[in-house]
This record gives sequence, C-alpha cells and structure tokens, in this order.
Amino acid sequence: MPLQAQGIVLKNVNLQSLYFLLEIECPPIASLLHPGQFVMLKIEGSEDPLLRRPFSLFKKNFTHHRQQENRGRFSILYKKIGKGTQKMTELGRGDKINLIGALGNGFSIPPSPSSQRAALIGGGVGIVPLLSLAEALRMERGLAVFIGGKTKTDILCLKDFEKLNSNIFVATEDGSLGHRGTVIDLFLSEQERLWRGGPTPVFASGPLPMLKGLANALGPQKSLCEASFEARMGCGFGACWGCVIRTIDPETPYQRVCKEGPVFNLGKIIWEDR
Amino acid sequence: MTIGTLRLKNPVMVASGTFGFGEEYQDFIDLDQLGAIIPKGISLTPMEGNPPPRIFETAGGILNSIGLQNPGFNEFVKKKLPFLARLKTHVIVNFFGKSQQEYVELARRFNEVPEISGLEMNISCPNVKQGGIAFGSNPRSTSRLVRAVRKSTRLPLIVKLSPNVTEIDAIAKIAEEEGADAVSLVNTFKAMAINIHSKKPELGNIIGGLSGPAIKPIALRMVWEVFRRVNIPIIGMGGIFKAEDAIEFILVGASAIQIGTANLINPRTSLDVIRGIREYLLKNKIPHVRKLIGLFRPRP
Repeated sequence: MPLQAQGIVLKNVNLQSLYFLLEIECPPIASLLHPGQFVMLKIEGSEDPLLRRPFSLFKKNFTHHRQQENRGRFSILYKKIGKGTQKMTELGRGDKINLIGALGNGFSIPPSPSSQRAALIGGGVGIVPLLSLAEALRMERGLAVFIGGKTKTDILCLKDFEKLNSNIFVATEDGSLGHRGTVIDLFLSEQERLWRGGPTPVFASGPLPMLKGLANALGPQKSLCEASFEARMGCGFGACWGCVIRTIDPETPYQRVCKEGPVFNLGKIIWEDR
Repeated sequence: MTIGTLRLKNPVMVASGTFGFGEEYQDFIDLDQLGAIIPKGISLTPMEGNPPPRIFETAGGILNSIGLQNPGFNEFVKKKLPFLARLKTHVIVNFFGKSQQEYVELARRFNEVPEISGLEMNISCPNVKQGGIAFGSNPRSTSRLVRAVRKSTRLPLIVKLSPNVTEIDAIAKIAEEEGADAVSLVNTFKAMAINIHSKKPELGNIIGGLSGPAIKPIALRMVWEVFRRVNIPIIGMGGIFKAEDAIEFILVGASAIQIGTANLINPRTSLDVIRGIREYLLKNKIPHVRKLIGLFRPRP
C-alpha cells in the first residue's frame, strides 16, 4: 500500500560523472520499499518540472558512520539528464522532498536464502535496483553480476557488488573498462559456462533496447528472466495509463509499467517499434 | 450545487482520465469527501488504447495520447463499479461511442445501473477519431447526438465540450437546447512535440491533448464565453491546481469545477481545493459558494 509523505535529504553527493547518490530519511516509505520498487519524487515548492519523477530503490537501512543501522532511511542513485534531475543536484542536507511510495511490483525473491545460482544484468543507471536485489537474494555463491555502460564512467556500483562476493563482469561499448561491447554480448559469452548445471534465473534492468536485445538473445529461455523496465510516467500509481508497455496478455495488452511492473517476466513482453 | 436532479455536497469533482477508477487514490485521500468522481471514460466494448509513448511533459503542461484505453461497459460494471458504489459520493460516468448508436446504447444501459448518479458524454477526446471530437466540433452533429442521447436516459446529463472549436459557446448553446442538464469544459487542446535528435514525435500517436497550468487562461476565457450564452450549470476545468484557480473559474460562471492533471502530481489536490474554497468563503463572509458563481465584474 503506497503513501504520500515528506522526506528529508540526508546527503546528496556526486559519485562520478553525471551520477549522484541521494540519501533520504522517510521512515513510513522506507519501511515499505522492496528491491525493484520505486518512489515518485517531487522537490517541495517547485512547479517546474510539473510531474514527479520515478526513482528505483538503491539501498535501504544502511549504516551511517558509527551509528546503528537506521530503518527509516533509503537511497536512490540518479543520473543528471534533464531539468528535474538538474534541480535535484542542488538539494542539500535538511531539504524537504515530497515522496509517493512504495510503488510497483518488485523482483520475486525466494523466502529463504537460495543456493541456486543467478545472473544479474544491468545497463547504465539500470544497475541501481539490482544491488538491493543482490543483497536480498543472500546467495553464498553463484551470483554473477554483469554491469554495462557506454564508457567507464557509466559503470556504477562496482565496489558495492564486490562487497557481496559476487562474480563481476564489466562491459563498455568503447572498451574503456572491461570487455569491449555490450553487456548482453558479455553475458552470452559467459552463458554456457554459467548454465553448465542447467539454466539459472536472470534478473535484468536497463533501457528498452538493452532489454529487447536480452530477450532476443535468450530466445525461448527469456521467461527465466525478470526485468525492470524504465518508462516516462505521469502519476506512478496507476491512475493515468501513460507508462504502458505491450504484453501478451489478451485482455489488457497494454499494461502499466508503474502498477503491473516495473518488473515483468521478459517472456510476457511484446516489442513494438518506437 | 445541482445538475438536473443531482445534488452535490461540494463543487469539486475529479476529472475523467486522471483519476483511474477511484481505487488508485484510496491510499492517499478520503474519497467520500469529493463532490463527485468521474472515472475513466467507458465505451461499449474494451479499447486497448494508443501505442506508447503516451505522455510527455511540456512547459507548464502535459501532452497525453492514452487513447481512451478502458475495459468496456460490462467489465466496468462488474469489476470497477462495486468499489465506487460503496463510497459516499456521486459516481458520474464519462462515456463515448464510435457511432451515434453506440452513444445511445451506452446511455440506455447506464440508465439501468442504479449505482450511477449521472452521465458525462464525451464529445471531445482529441486522441481517437471515435472519441467523439468528430461529433463535438460540428454544431449539427452535436445537436443530433445530444438529442438522441437525451431521449435514452433519465440520468442527469453533462456534455463535455472540446476547446478545439471556433465558437465553444455556440456548441454549448446547442447542448442546452437539446436537453443537456450541464456542460463541462474544457477537454484537452490538440497539441504535439518533436524530439529534434531522433526527429520523431514525442508521442506514439503523434498528436495528443495538452492539459495543465499552461491551458488555464484559455479554459477560463471559454467558461466565461459559455456563461454569457447558456443558463444551465457549467462545470469548469483546465489547469486547476489550487483553490485560487477554482475560485477564478467559479467567478467567471462555473457552478462546479473538476481537478484533472493536478491529481497525478499531488493526489490530495482535490481535498486541498475543497478546504481552500471553504476558507475563502469564510474569510470573505460569503454564505454559500452559489453566491460566487459569475460574480466576476468587467471593468467599467
């Protein structure tokens, strides 16, 4: 059940190039957020941009300096791309933001720690929702994380995933870090080795062309993949039907990324030319 | 505030297409406090809507081309209406057809649904040819259509007007003459936006409808023009984000108002506007909102 609440900015720092980390205190919403879910954010008192903007959960309940774990906190990781995110970079400690959350359906996480292997594939800022997922999966071994981007400054969260003892594979389109090529190519080159004991679940997050490429590459096995989609949103809570994506559902082909998503089984999506 | 036989507890409604089927807002506000809820527009059979992208923000406004996606009459009555019917507010159903027969058939069917307090006929959606704009932009077809629908239902009938016409007051007059109990205006303005890098339209449907603060001054002018021409109640809308906006609409002649785009950004807008109007009346010692309607005075 989502709610609307005020959040307080704890920290807003430039991580690298155009990427920023925003830490927020908002106990009512922090307690609701699951991996893959998102919040709709608006800077208080600002009419421009008009609409809220959606941001995936990055981390929650993190420890601050010598403090105890704080359950009222969560963070988002955003890329400065337009007017709205430009204004967000100007937020400082103590500033107020208005939030609606927790929204959407997140990733399905097995109730007990799984010994099964899994692959996580993230493109650019799409890697963000996969970190809390990786933590929630609590895998002793066998977590393969594929991180891709255009260039090395688009490769995010390397250190965070290293802490989780995962196998990390990096791809950049210009070859400035790791494998030269797309993250999908890199995954395909490792797939045979990873799936030696049989196919394993795949979790992906990134822009539409990346997810489309992954669906094509996985072929009939794409239904093993849960993917988090990005979309322009009006409201974020299912009222306006502005953020739809086409699915194989015969009753309601166009489903809402904000409500039925943002995580969909990749096998359910029908790709339309845009 | 009355529309035909329908009495509203306050003049604030929520506009069709911006409020889902009401249930999407239950976590944010007490829906019982609203004057009326107008759920998403309903057609005789389900409609899948337009291809995405369906929404794009422009300066002070939003372009949308949802394309009237809806589950159709049967699913609406079976799956969506039960929630709305439990609320202590009026449900006014917005509907549209591909043909005059479909409008008439829907009006007849809704007439038999006791949970519904009134009808708003959409003759003004800019996003689909069947959304009624073909009817609503022509005086003669408006006349024929409203007359036929009027004969098919005893429910209070509101005609929702398009701003994409030369003389909106002429269309409003026709709706009145053909027996409409009220007119609501305005629907969105036909509009578009282009991405100069891809050279493609920002909307999958190319053309969409513009709403939000950007259209408020034009909507206000249109409500005033219609107020000078008709005697039936006017329901004003177009970029109302706060009580002050709503009061402007009432001063130029609106008997009630609808909140649209603002719901998407702040789901509590409608309740804030209700409270704001009440405070304005108290502060200015005006006994009832009725006394405010059309109180606008042109400069001498």
